[in-house]
Amino acid sequence: MRDVSFGSYFPAKSFVHSMDARAKILIAIAYMVAVFLVSAFHFLGFAACLLFVIISTITAKVPFGLVLKSVKTIIFFVVFSAVLQLFFNRKGTVLFWIITDVGLLNAGFIIARIVLIVLGASLLTLTTSPVELADGIEGLLLPLKWIKFPVHEFALIMSIALRFIPTLIGETDRIIKAQKARGADFESGNIFKRAKALIPVLIPLLISSFRRADELADAMDSRCYAGSKNRTKYKKMRLTYRDLLGVLFVAGLIVGIVFLNKFYLLSGLSVIAGAL
Amino acid sequence: MEITVKDLKFTYSAKTKSLAFRALKGVSVNIGEGEIFGIIGKTGSGKSTFIQHLNGLIKVQKDAGSIVIGEYDLTDKKCDYRSLRAKIGMMFQYPEHQLFAETVEGDVAFALKNFAPELSDGEIESRVKDALALTGLNYDLIKNSSPFDLSGGQKRRVAIAGVIVAKPEILILDEPAAGLDPKGKREFLELLLRLHKDFVKTIIIVSHDMNLVAEYCTNAAVFADGKILSCGTPKEIFSDKSLIEESGLNVPLTAFLVEKLKEKGVLIDCDLTVDGFIDGVCRALNLKGE
Repeated sequence: MRDVSFGSYFPAKSFVHSMDARAKILIAIAYMVAVFLVSAFHFLGFAACLLFVIISTITAKVPFGLVLKSVKTIIFFVVFSAVLQLFFNRKGTVLFWIITDVGLLNAGFIIARIVLIVLGASLLTLTTSPVELADGIEGLLLPLKWIKFPVHEFALIMSIALRFIPTLIGETDRIIKAQKARGADFESGNIFKRAKALIPVLIPLLISSFRRADELADAMDSRCYAGSKNRTKYKKMRLTYRDLLGVLFVAGLIVGIVFLNKFYLLSGLSVIAGAL
Repeated sequence: MEITVKDLKFTYSAKTKSLAFRALKGVSVNIGEGEIFGIIGKTGSGKSTFIQHLNGLIKVQKDAGSIVIGEYDLTDKKCDYRSLRAKIGMMFQYPEHQLFAETVEGDVAFALKNFAPELSDGEIESRVKDALALTGLNYDLIKNSSPFDLSGGQKRRVAIAGVIVAKPEILILDEPAAGLDPKGKREFLELLLRLHKDFVKTIIIVSHDMNLVAEYCTNAAVFADGKILSCGTPKEIFSDKSLIEESGLNVPLTAFLVEKLKEKGVLIDCDLTVDGFIDGVCRALNLKGE
């Protein structure tokens, strides 16, 4: 349970860590748009995205291993989509058996797209603590207050949920151990047997979350928490030159990809023309 | 079963260097059959990591020492953890948090059904009945209630029954008396002594309560920073002033009184149990201790 890397925070002092969370979220979204902007089979665009991730990782002083670890979590999903493309894409010419060249390219394209998006997302969560992340989202959603959307409450729900992930992981770990000590077996048997074996873990976990929620509500009440009205922030978010640099960097990436799309389209066509 | 631990080391998150944390740095200890063994030390000194090794909840890492318990070698990859865990009962802090079944009977029988699936329903019922009776609960009154409808004290008893129902030879307890009222605590400790005379041969207790350790433990080990600072009888441990200082522990009331009397010029040499202390005082006063 301790090895859940996707969505975990890596504390460090770096350029990226000290950026404003709002800017980082926007940059991450822009980066994902950039990944989706890469048109079919223009792998040079992906190379640009990868370069963006590598440079960001270096400036964030995060070990590459940690960033790559997030891919491990979704490896099943990646392989599954790639296999679907490989075996069920009927377009293009058959290379061998039922695998076509378009299917192969599509599979590669999809793998690159998913992996790059996950890398970007995990870099965001690795460099932004859950609290900052929730604050950032609250800041970005602030305009929604105009249509009476309870932005503060929404952010609170989110930060509480994020805050309790490690607590719940610890709790799960403890309950699993307690049940293992009573002979529970989570490792053998078919999938149904294993799912059933989880009941002695899930029920205590559910009950303890209710207990925790109750305690938390009491604790907030006793500190006179009364929602968003007149509430100030301990840490004010401030945009700095770092955020400007980051925005420029991602803007450069998008422009580059749009440019590559056009340029590569031509060269791609010429390659096909040459092959014909 | 005798427990022999040699130079045990353990590192959390060993694969990620930046997050790695060395919880155990070479622990060697011998716990003989029949002992009530206390484990004391500050929070974060490695006590929990150590006891979780003993029934294989944490596996011994490569080249990180060895644990042998009776015929079980825990460094052996083929070690049968299920049968080991049937012989070593483990009770964590707040054991009532592990309750899950719809009925008390189902919850108590859980360990039994896991460890001894060959038992008939009648045998299971009688074992569950015995376990509940040991903890002072009436099987017929309580068997069909939901464990979540019980009071805190009753929940704790049900959880304890759920561990001792498997009749473990070794019982490991992590802060067993936490959250119990004085009466509940006394009854629980009496239960432990009764179990110790019955089928439980060895008891290992992790506790911050020095009075409990002095009163009940035959031997104890002081953990600090992933190592054992000292190992011996409560008397040996609590009379070692420099050790107490270094480990940041406090002393049991009896040891405190012995020390205070010494300052007044009354030297007492006695065990640190309440009875031992009284005997010592009587001897010092030249009275006949009863």
